[in-house]
Amino acid sequence: MDLLTVPFMRNVMLAGVLVALGLAPLSVYVVLRRIVFVGAAVAEISSAGVALAILFNLEPFPVALILTILTFLGFSRAADNPRLPLEALIGMLYAGGSAAAVLLIAKSPRGEGDILNVLFGNILTVPLPLLWMMVIAFGAVAAIQYLAAKEFLIVAYDPDMARALGIRVELWNTLFYVALGVAVAIAIRGVGALLAFTLLVAPGAAALSIVGSLRAAFVLATVIGVVATVVGIAGSYWLDLPTGPAIVGILAVVFGLSYLWAATRRA
Amino acid sequence: MPADLLRARGVALGYGGRTVLRNLDFTIERGDFLGVMGPNGSGKTTLLRAMLGLIKPLAGTMEWIAQNGGPPRIGYVPQRERLDPNFPLSALEVAVMGRFGKLGAMRRAGRADVEIALGCLTRVGMDRHAHSPYRSLSGGQQQRVLIARALAGEPDALLLDEPTNGMDIEAERAIMELLLDLQQTNATTILFVTHLLSAIQNFARRVALITRDGSLLIGPKAEMLASRSLARAYTEEI
Repeated sequence: MDLLTVPFMRNVMLAGVLVALGLAPLSVYVVLRRIVFVGAAVAEISSAGVALAILFNLEPFPVALILTILTFLGFSRAADNPRLPLEALIGMLYAGGSAAAVLLIAKSPRGEGDILNVLFGNILTVPLPLLWMMVIAFGAVAAIQYLAAKEFLIVAYDPDMARALGIRVELWNTLFYVALGVAVAIAIRGVGALLAFTLLVAPGAAALSIVGSLRAAFVLATVIGVVATVVGIAGSYWLDLPTGPAIVGILAVVFGLSYLWAATRRA
Repeated sequence: MPADLLRARGVALGYGGRTVLRNLDFTIERGDFLGVMGPNGSGKTTLLRAMLGLIKPLAGTMEWIAQNGGPPRIGYVPQRERLDPNFPLSALEVAVMGRFGKLGAMRRAGRADVEIALGCLTRVGMDRHAHSPYRSLSGGQQQRVLIARALAGEPDALLLDEPTNGMDIEAERAIMELLLDLQQTNATTILFVTHLLSAIQNFARRVALITRDGSLLIGPKAEMLASRSLARAYTEEI
């Protein structure tokens, strides 16, 4: 593959594969927990955090990371509020986050180019330290998912049963949302909000449409995430297209095909 | 005389400042087969959730009595409609969840846990379906799997929320006979909540009746199903 002989493309490929490995397994839980749009809203909040940091000349990543984790933790508590449907909160955070990002960027000394960076990321210029951060953070998130598999499963599937068994539902939910927050914040920093959101939904949704076991869904979601990312990067290189949207396009096609396949089987 | 398993004294239960059940004084004995009934919205599930420790009493105390040095193990069988069918789990994977409370944090279920869960599926007649998707099973089969899941925790008592809801008479009879068998052969205490008079009438040994004023009458079935008791719980529904 001649694209791998181009030095910076190796970094692009590595960043894409790392983000896919980090987010695709989480996407299974995101879909099953019905918190797909939490991912979208949090991505916007994270973008607003980056914009805020740029405006005040702060380091963008820590600001985005803190805002992302706080928002996820807020969602984990908001789910217990009987007065307010979660959708209303998600919708307002999504709209508010988007507006804040655009407004803050409008006042940024760096201008419109930053908006594109914030919304679509810049997978082509992922620096080496961020690659290392991805390895460590996604490795930690994967380890937590593996070790806490039974806790994450039962608190999502049957929280009352979990409580009756003495499992601390709030603790494990918090750990899940913190892991999700860290993964999303780093992914957005590396590849942008749109691609991060898509990798947080499409692989899991496609895999759950195709396979009938949770274990197989995790494996297939990871394979779909990685393959779509590699194909998207290669396609964008050869066809001279924007890389992030190219990967999103591939994932949308994969999801569409899996959805059709599942619909055909049901018919 | 059987030993006490649960004692409630002066208990009031409710949500968000609203008291649903009040002045509850009752005892559940070991080996009991108790049906809890009452009109829709009377607080049957609230009572069950309080027994499970999922909600705290607004007043009074509800206490499980220790035996052999430890608290009794409680198996919970929720309403099966509450479980999300999108989760692609096999019957065995659902049953293994009953072991999770016995494993330490971040410890995975081992071969022995799977064997116990499989044994519980066999006990409820679902071993042939162990590897079938849980969501593809009939209502009665799903209920058996959930009972197996509760049994996998080796409970002293089983608490079931509407175990025969939405079932035809044959399926209802099969589930209730299974529970009766568990009570008689394993000495497992059974407490089930239902709005179906048939399940109570045909199978319960004792009955707890939630009245319209939010109190609880508890006693032998014949006494509780007498028209005077029922009139305190129901009006035109009977």
